[in-house]
Amino acid sequence: MMSNVRRMVSLFKGVCRTRTCPVHTWTSGAGLVLQSRSTDVFQNLALEDWIEANVDLRQRGVLLLWRNRPAVVIGRHQNPWTECDLQAATKAGIHVARRRSGGGTVFHDLGNLNLTFFTSKKNYDRRRNLKMITDALRRVRPELDVQATDRLDIVLNGHLKISGTASRLRRDSSYHHCTLLHSADRSALSAVLRPSTSGIHSNATPSVPSPVANLVDHAPTLQWEELLEALVDQYNEEFGCTSALTSIDPSDEASFPGIGLFVSELSSWEWTFGKTPKFSVRTVLDLSEHRSAQLHLEVKNGLVASCQVLVPPDWIPQSLADQLSQVLVGERFCRHGAAAAAVSTLLRLDGTGGRLEELSKAVLRAMG
Amino acid sequence: QGNNVLARRATAGMCFYCLRIGYEVVTVKTPAFAESVTEGDVRWEKAVGDTVSEDEVVCEIETDKTSVQVPSPAAGVIEELLVPDGGKVEGGTPLFKLRKGAGAPKAAEAPKAEAPAAAAPPPPSAAPSPPPPPASDVGPIPTTMPPVPPVPAHVKMNRMRLRIAQRLKEAQNTCAMLTTFNEVDMSNITEMRKTYKDAFLKKHNIKLGFMSAFVKAAAYALADQPAVNAVIDDTTKEIVYRDYVDISVAVATPKGLVVPVIRNVEGMNFAGIEKAINLLGEKARKNELAVEDMDGGTFTISNGGVFGSMFGTPIINPPQSAILGMHGIFDRPVAVGGKVEIRPMMYVALTYDHRLIDGREAVTFLRKIKAVVEDPRVLLLDM
Repeated sequence: MMSNVRRMVSLFKGVCRTRTCPVHTWTSGAGLVLQSRSTDVFQNLALEDWIEANVDLRQRGVLLLWRNRPAVVIGRHQNPWTECDLQAATKAGIHVARRRSGGGTVFHDLGNLNLTFFTSKKNYDRRRNLKMITDALRRVRPELDVQATDRLDIVLNGHLKISGTASRLRRDSSYHHCTLLHSADRSALSAVLRPSTSGIHSNATPSVPSPVANLVDHAPTLQWEELLEALVDQYNEEFGCTSALTSIDPSDEASFPGIGLFVSELSSWEWTFGKTPKFSVRTVLDLSEHRSAQLHLEVKNGLVASCQVLVPPDWIPQSLADQLSQVLVGERFCRHGAAAAAVSTLLRLDGTGGRLEELSKAVLRAMG
Repeated sequence: QGNNVLARRATAGMCFYCLRIGYEVVTVKTPAFAESVTEGDVRWEKAVGDTVSEDEVVCEIETDKTSVQVPSPAAGVIEELLVPDGGKVEGGTPLFKLRKGAGAPKAAEAPKAEAPAAAAPPPPSAAPSPPPPPASDVGPIPTTMPPVPPVPAHVKMNRMRLRIAQRLKEAQNTCAMLTTFNEVDMSNITEMRKTYKDAFLKKHNIKLGFMSAFVKAAAYALADQPAVNAVIDDTTKEIVYRDYVDISVAVATPKGLVVPVIRNVEGMNFAGIEKAINLLGEKARKNELAVEDMDGGTFTISNGGVFGSMFGTPIINPPQSAILGMHGIFDRPVAVGGKVEIRPMMYVALTYDHRLIDGREAVTFLRKIKAVVEDPRVLLLDM
């Protein structure tokens, strides 16, 4: 652990931005402010994991500032199929990631600043962190009416949300992170933040939608760099330290040994989709000639645990529909990939161009 | 003799005593929440019967946008979960029961036969218990388990495999399946590839392989022999001729055969075909193949060569009438212009439905493929 911290120190010394920071002020100060150069959501989430695992937070806290290229970030215990239209996201090149902290779904893009406050469990204080942010905003734009709510959001003019919060508590460490909407693209947001498919019944953590606003809509002259500098200054003042903004590169495995493993885990299907609390899908499939079938699926760990397709008896034999159901059990709840391959094999064996094909395609469309 | 009996009994007593200590069951409660939060939802990471080590996360509790990890206080086995997944808890609510002590039976001090009752409940992660050692009184107490004789694995065939097997057998019974063979001299195509591969990569951003040559050759030959591109409809007793060529490319994946289709090959050149193959390959790798990507297909090409096969009879992929099997490329001595030369050679096989395609058509078809791959200029000259 100490050698990693020493490596970060040398990194720090090399790229000090606004002030010179000799080692003794850093080690005796109460905080360290870092800015990630990466805009990849998985690398930045992995960076949070790395800092949590490798930095001794008993002596000092760390503030990490980061932003991502467009991505949908769901909370630890949420259901990606209900929170996001996965087909639309893939088409638009928007990544979907599951973070380690709880809470609801957020849309990240380069106009959305993320702040992570790393502290020891003893110093965990979310309201103090949010106060630091509202103080910073009022400092640079005194006319802004911003305040933190009971739900730990930050609202503008009493009702427009500009920040949402989430946190993670482990045995010895904690972190609190939040967003801050500077200039996010709200239209891109609405296109993907809706369910992938209908009929999902789940007890996963829901998202609470609220009207949002960008800071630039109400303070058009507020530049990104100005905002960052105000936050750094206020952090130093609030927590009694003299840290300058240090730029770091989380893709540098030499400076952050082991970070690659965190990235792999966070970008894996098993984490993003496999960690979904179990849910069921109950829906009606529309077929030709005004007929319909009923679909009931149970999904556990992102895989189809059971499947039942009920068809009108005069349309195709129920036994054929049952074969389709059996083929899907054990596959990922996704219309592409293994489920599609299994269905396609079944169709090659039992007849293409017929009602089984129509039914199979309708079932696949209902899957994520 | 007497001493040995005494030794065994004493050990049994000690052993039983040690195991009794490991039976302590503790109830782990919900930790107090920070910042005056009152309740949260439990999300289980472990299940009943799982072995956990000290500090391993057993569940997470979501309270008001915070995810709190609940670690196990000691090593042991999860005995009971006291709250359902997603259930609500408050600080102090009992969460789960842990049976302390090492879960799996590690180096036991006494043979298992000495204390059979104490083995219950066996943790599910333990290996199947070895047969008890013979109750002889020879020598010291063994400290390692006797070797387990291997048990043959009987795995039930899953329904899909059964269905595929059944259908293939049906196909063999309905079609009169025959295979004809030929060999292809890969020298020219190898040379062409060597000459153009860098420029091709630069222009098209993908590699130039051999599949495009065979796919194009097949499309050309299918246009020349429409019977090979047709299929018998057993229900209506009709021959269905198709004026488009959709080539299925068989790809082996760990989960079985996947057959994505390249559509309308008759209008594509080598570059177009390589791009299509590349795109489908990418999709297959990223698990993004849609069912529409695998629909239909009028003819299949299967490449056993990637596994190093030299020779083999592919089986028709219903509902089609023929399949081309490619194999490995091996240097062989062949007769060229009366002399022996070493040439890179590939055996190719065409399995076909003899009800629809006669022997002459099948052989001509395969010879056309050979002609195109051995000299692609044949395509330009429409020979």
